[in-house]
Amino acid sequence: MNKVYYIVAEHLFCVEAQENLLELLSNYEPFRSEKQDNPLFFLTVTQGKPVSFIEELRQDEEGQDIICGHTEQGDAVFEFRWDGCTAGWLVCSADYRQGTLYLSGFQVKAAIDNALMIQFAMASATLDTVLFHAAAVSLDGKGYMFLGKSGTGKSTHARLWLNNISGTELMNDDNPAVRIKADGTAVVYGTPWSGKTPCYRNVSAPVGGIVLLSQAPHNLITRLNGIGAYAAVVPSISGKRWDSLIADGLHETENALASNIPVWHLDCLPDADAAHLCKDTIAV
Amino acid sequence: MKIKKGFVLRTVCGENVIVGEGLDAINFGRMLSLNETAAWLWNKAKESGDFTAESLSQALCTEYEVTPDQALADVRETIDNWSKLGVIE
Repeated sequence: MNKVYYIVAEHLFCVEAQENLLELLSNYEPFRSEKQDNPLFFLTVTQGKPVSFIEELRQDEEGQDIICGHTEQGDAVFEFRWDGCTAGWLVCSADYRQGTLYLSGFQVKAAIDNALMIQFAMASATLDTVLFHAAAVSLDGKGYMFLGKSGTGKSTHARLWLNNISGTELMNDDNPAVRIKADGTAVVYGTPWSGKTPCYRNVSAPVGGIVLLSQAPHNLITRLNGIGAYAAVVPSISGKRWDSLIADGLHETENALASNIPVWHLDCLPDADAAHLCKDTIAV
Repeated sequence: MKIKKGFVLRTVCGENVIVGEGLDAINFGRMLSLNETAAWLWNKAKESGDFTAESLSQALCTEYEVTPDQALADVRETIDNWSKLGVIE
């Protein structure tokens, strides 16, 4: 077994696995760290047999099931399935800092990515950090995030910025992280997780705006405030909210974002006008 | 009556909001905004565990300047609303 260290959103973590598994993790290379002291969490990856646990909740998204539960000893368990076949079981200490992923041999890479995303999201939730389901672009030193249900066109809208607004760069296409810094600034970070688009960039920028997208036969942008802004942000952040420590941590960050960052709702067509309208309104 | 497991009072941008966070409440899918008195009643109800319209209105009278009749009417209205929304049982 070998150990490698990574830093994502300024959180250090360690993955321990055999060399042939570590070789799969090319999307993590930009995040490699020389620093090794005091990681936020450890993940050990190994081959394993089914783990028995008490089921709490099933989350089903795009042909992928995540079954959450706990062992009799109180460890948290996440089982990953694709099309009904189990890829692995992540077993974590109650504070999510020590994890072991038992691989079935099916969908190995996806299981490792899932395990690391979950452990990252859970272990950092109490440290002013959230993992978004969003596309993020940067322009003139600021980061802008596009939210929406699966299939709404987050990636499409990001691409419209890239193609029509010069100076725009893609930070992450599916799972950027956001962290509230000690001085209250919200910063968005690229991560090793980016959905179907291979965009694994170790970049960051202060958040300039958050936009919830809806498909519509027209382009119209409106500002959301207070509870409306909060309600727009919360569904785009993954987490195990029935763990009250996690829920408290996520709420702190979500409330800080809703209170301090401009949040918008964009009714949009998948056209260049939508990108221009959005940019001209939010990037000022 | 009691507050259903999993419903939590949060302060969102300075306002009081009930959200469903627990396993039994995770699919609530909306947020319930409470005024100051309703939020006070929610905390009282949470504290008491088991509550009735009478027990909450008595508590309300000791905290706010309100007649017992008015308090009971207000509490009933609030509880009815919570009941319809399914956040108490």
